[in-house]
Amino acid sequence: MEPARAFTTPSPRRDNPLRRVFAARGMGQVISVSAALALMFVAFALFNRNFVSRRNLTELLRQVSPILIIGIGQSYVLITAGIDLSIGSVVGMSSMLSATLMTKAGLPPAAAILITLTSCLALGCLNGALVSRAKLPPFIATLGTMIIARGVAQWVNNNRNTDGISSQAFRNMFYYDKFLGLFAPVWIALVLFLIFNFMLSRMKIGRRLYAIGSNYEAAKFSGVNVAQTEMAAYVVSAFNACVVGLILTAMSGMGAMDAGNGYELNAVAASVIGGVSTMGGQGLLFGTVIGSCIWGVLNNGLQFAGAPQALKNIVIGVVVIVSVLIDRVARGNILDLRKLFGIRRKPQPTA
Amino acid sequence: MHTSRSSQTPLVRMSGICKTFPGVQALDDVSFDLYPGEVHALLGENGAGKSTLMKILGGIYAQDAGEFTVANRRAEHMSPKRAQELGVAVIHQELNLCPHLTVAENIFLGREQTKFGALAQRRMNAEAAQILTDLRIDISPDAIVSKLPVGGQQMVEIAKALSAHCKVLVMDEPTSALTSREVDELNRMIRDLQSVGCGIAYISHRLEELAAIADRVTILRDGRHIATMNYRDTNIHQIISFMVGREITEKFPTVTAPRGQELLRVEHLASRAVHDVSFSLYKGEILGFAGLMGAGRTELMRAIFGADAMLSGDIILEGKSLRINSPRDAIRHGIVCVPEDRKKEGLCINLPIHENVGLANLDRLTAPLSTIDRAAERLTTQRAIDELKIKTPSQNQYARNLSGGNQQKVVVGKWLVRDAKVFLFDEPTRGIDVAAKVEIYNLMNRMKSQGLGVLFVTSEMPEALGMADRILVMCEGCITGEFTRETATQEKILEAATRFARVAI
Repeated sequence: MEPARAFTTPSPRRDNPLRRVFAARGMGQVISVSAALALMFVAFALFNRNFVSRRNLTELLRQVSPILIIGIGQSYVLITAGIDLSIGSVVGMSSMLSATLMTKAGLPPAAAILITLTSCLALGCLNGALVSRAKLPPFIATLGTMIIARGVAQWVNNNRNTDGISSQAFRNMFYYDKFLGLFAPVWIALVLFLIFNFMLSRMKIGRRLYAIGSNYEAAKFSGVNVAQTEMAAYVVSAFNACVVGLILTAMSGMGAMDAGNGYELNAVAASVIGGVSTMGGQGLLFGTVIGSCIWGVLNNGLQFAGAPQALKNIVIGVVVIVSVLIDRVARGNILDLRKLFGIRRKPQPTA
Repeated sequence: MHTSRSSQTPLVRMSGICKTFPGVQALDDVSFDLYPGEVHALLGENGAGKSTLMKILGGIYAQDAGEFTVANRRAEHMSPKRAQELGVAVIHQELNLCPHLTVAENIFLGREQTKFGALAQRRMNAEAAQILTDLRIDISPDAIVSKLPVGGQQMVEIAKALSAHCKVLVMDEPTSALTSREVDELNRMIRDLQSVGCGIAYISHRLEELAAIADRVTILRDGRHIATMNYRDTNIHQIISFMVGREITEKFPTVTAPRGQELLRVEHLASRAVHDVSFSLYKGEILGFAGLMGAGRTELMRAIFGADAMLSGDIILEGKSLRINSPRDAIRHGIVCVPEDRKKEGLCINLPIHENVGLANLDRLTAPLSTIDRAAERLTTQRAIDELKIKTPSQNQYARNLSGGNQQKVVVGKWLVRDAKVFLFDEPTRGIDVAAKVEIYNLMNRMKSQGLGVLFVTSEMPEALGMADRILVMCEGCITGEFTRETATQEKILEAATRFARVAI
């Protein structure tokens, strides 16, 4: 059969871009969470006018950026129905490695960045290989590499945080520079978002990521190179974690061994709040942006409101759960409370 | 046993049982009875209704009409638990044991005995040992189930069933995974059970082995009761003729096409469930694969398509030997597959139609920067929708929202735009409505007249006879028969499909 000859060519229906946006999977939750974000924003603004000061807003965006960057990486992995627990440790490894190379080894920033990036990507490849080739459960594989990467972070500078780095250029480039009123991390996050969103929504690799998360077998039966695709997700995740590590080094001017501690789960929270499904096959990076912003606004807003750290954690935890519950309800799987509490229906008499 | 039956009351008396599944009348006014101390074999082709009838007896399904009694008690509001209380135990085709637990733990699963709230491990082990000894089963109660051979696990299932004091034991193809020694052992146990007054309903496709145990046989066909006979008053030929007398009510569209050159040759192929299979497929031919469930036909297709590893053998397409290590390789060489389980292997049901179709054709839908040419994808999808008459409001419809027939058409549609040479159809019409079936048949015929090759696995015998130019019959991973359209009959196919290598008599 020759393609597109043996039949009459139908006129392709005009693709209404707006409709396409709304038809995208996970868009429902993105919309409802965006509304929630707007409400929160207004509430915090009413509570304290300083919250909406120009100064605080630029700072807020800078705080959100690292979470967004690792959230993008985690979203990639979650969409394939996996999870990457090593993100936080890779952040730490990146921070310690780059700072050590710049201080103790005295390398110029460019060389330090290159070596750090290579190491982090190697770890991402290891994650990918363990999951896609050795068929380890992602949870186990990345739990192992999480501990390894943290070990590396402690080992590179003999179990000590590094001294201060001398290159002000490095610190400015990754944290302090301002361009068009926005700090460097915001620009980095924006560029990464644009690249990875393009990859996920437009490129073939993106389609394949969704497909293997939705049905691995069917993707394989459709001729997708499933192992290679799965690998790519973990490499993207490690790359993004590496970038965040560099940002943290630039911020504090040194490498800290516990940098990025717990970030992997913050990344899951940002993704999940934004509608990325941990079951795979569903989610939009735009949702992850909103999810990260909610995380940032809550953190920053509650601080302005004078709430203690403990309360912030409680609120963020609740938001994670509620945002997913809302999505369930919106999708028609209305909560069956009886089921939730294990109350059994009376047996139906058989006909 | 036969002689005294009339004076006994039956353990099970089922009458007028009807059961409808969406689109299928699975059982239509079926009667069945079972007396103490007898083995009553229940026979029929795939889909004749045997398992459905036994699942009703076991409380898994509720019948739509008809009633039955177990030990003179009316069976109402049935559930598996209630069936157990009535003394019915069912040993299903698939084993239902927890592989990591011990034999005794499995036997007492769900009704563990306790002492001061703690598990009475020793007592349960002792009782399990007693049960096993009574059955003359040589297995330790504290053996881990996964370490036992399949036959041993089967014995544990039986011990578990009997420990619940059952009077009626249903066995659904108990011997399909057993060695002949294990079958002997099983038969010995069945006779022991008979002697203590248990009734045994026995489903099997291995007609030869019935000789050793069956007292009576009941034959079902298309959900209807055909005959009940004393086993010694009948013979295998008569049983087969009752089993296959299936009316061919469907009309199959036929197309004659000249058989061309050899397209695909498979030589000595072996995989995990296929043993030394060789055959040729010609251009313009539909080659049917008939056989019973589990005969190895799906595994053969999976091996050819690269979804299962080939242990040995060659696949030769148009004279060239292929190396196929993954479905990707097969597709690149022009071999495509419509898999048996469309929800598991055919579709990403949470993705829209155009993404499902696009996924299989991404290599030809490339735009600059490795992006997807969406316009071409729309065209491709529209072509599949038009050609296969897929009923959907739009290409953006999620696959999960389509009917079974339309889902299947999407799976087929994925491959339409490729220059595929060989199509593997594995049970393509299972669970879809008649109109959709006919469209699939027409499509297969069109491929045939275009000189493509079609491998067509089907468990529906009329379909094999109506559509295939040649039929290969498989049994236990081997080809046990080959027929042309002219020489094939239902009897011959069934006989080849039950040609088991090891006959346990």
